[in-house]
Amino acid sequence: MAQFNYAPTKTNLLKLRNDLKFAQQGYELLDQKRNILIIELMAMVDQTADFQNRLENALAKAYKALEETVFDMGKLKVQYLTGAVNMTTEITIRSRRVMGVSLPVIETEFTEHAPYYSPMGTSFWLDSSLGLFKEVLKLLGKLSELKISVLRLAQEVKKTIRKVNALEKIAIPGLEESVHYIQSRLEENERDMFILMKMVKGNLEKKGAKAMEKDRE
Amino acid sequence: MKYSIIGDEDTVLGFGIVGVSGKVALNADQAQRAFQAILEDNETSIIIITERVADMIRPMVDKYLFTVGFPLIVEIPDRNGTKPDRPGIKEMVNKAIGIKL
Repeated sequence: MAQFNYAPTKTNLLKLRNDLKFAQQGYELLDQKRNILIIELMAMVDQTADFQNRLENALAKAYKALEETVFDMGKLKVQYLTGAVNMTTEITIRSRRVMGVSLPVIETEFTEHAPYYSPMGTSFWLDSSLGLFKEVLKLLGKLSELKISVLRLAQEVKKTIRKVNALEKIAIPGLEESVHYIQSRLEENERDMFILMKMVKGNLEKKGAKAMEKDRE
Repeated sequence: MKYSIIGDEDTVLGFGIVGVSGKVALNADQAQRAFQAILEDNETSIIIITERVADMIRPMVDKYLFTVGFPLIVEIPDRNGTKPDRPGIKEMVNKAIGIKL
């Protein structure tokens, strides 16, 4: 019970009213934050699901091509040739901030120095799997950006919802109750004082009337 | 900064073709060591990990997924495809925030 922590005085009343106003402002801000985050999240989730599908299809194709390559040339030879492929991927990561959550933005750049191997004695599947895996890698950059963003946003939404609920369900009602309690106690005191004053006035008037009667006698 | 991959032999081979360095992990112990090794060299900014391997070291992976740290982690299905009971991104989000999108 929140109200028993405070003595029912005017100072406390003012203080609690300020606290209440502050809590309500905080609640409004957090509520807005929550809504913005959820909108952002919703837009991203669909996009992510789409990319995930595309990646899965691309990967399935790439694995298939790799399998064919290995059937054709043998695993060992493929492994040797991976050493010959002089391709580097350079990732640049910047961050984007949404409501205080930093989300990655990933750019992938390929540096190629083709051709890597003689077309003689290598399977055509090797070329196709090279192309397909490159495709996968391109998608992966975008997908990881989206996926990480979604997970981090979800985490932040969860935290914000908890804060909003704490304010809405506990802090604000508690403060309102305290303010109400102190206010009614103060009013009660005021009425007490008022009655007391009335009684004192009445007594004084009675005494005054008696004194006047005595004077007349 | 570059990609690194942890996965089974075929996955690592496949990504090897396009110049992604990788480590083969067949059990939890190897996966953990590979993960640690990649964390220690500061060149990698995105770790590609197959779902099967990620499941072996789930707590470590989740730690990096949800915190704001580097490197970023992305899970991919391996040669045998996605596990059927794997939660999609929507389910993960629903579970995390407890509301339906």
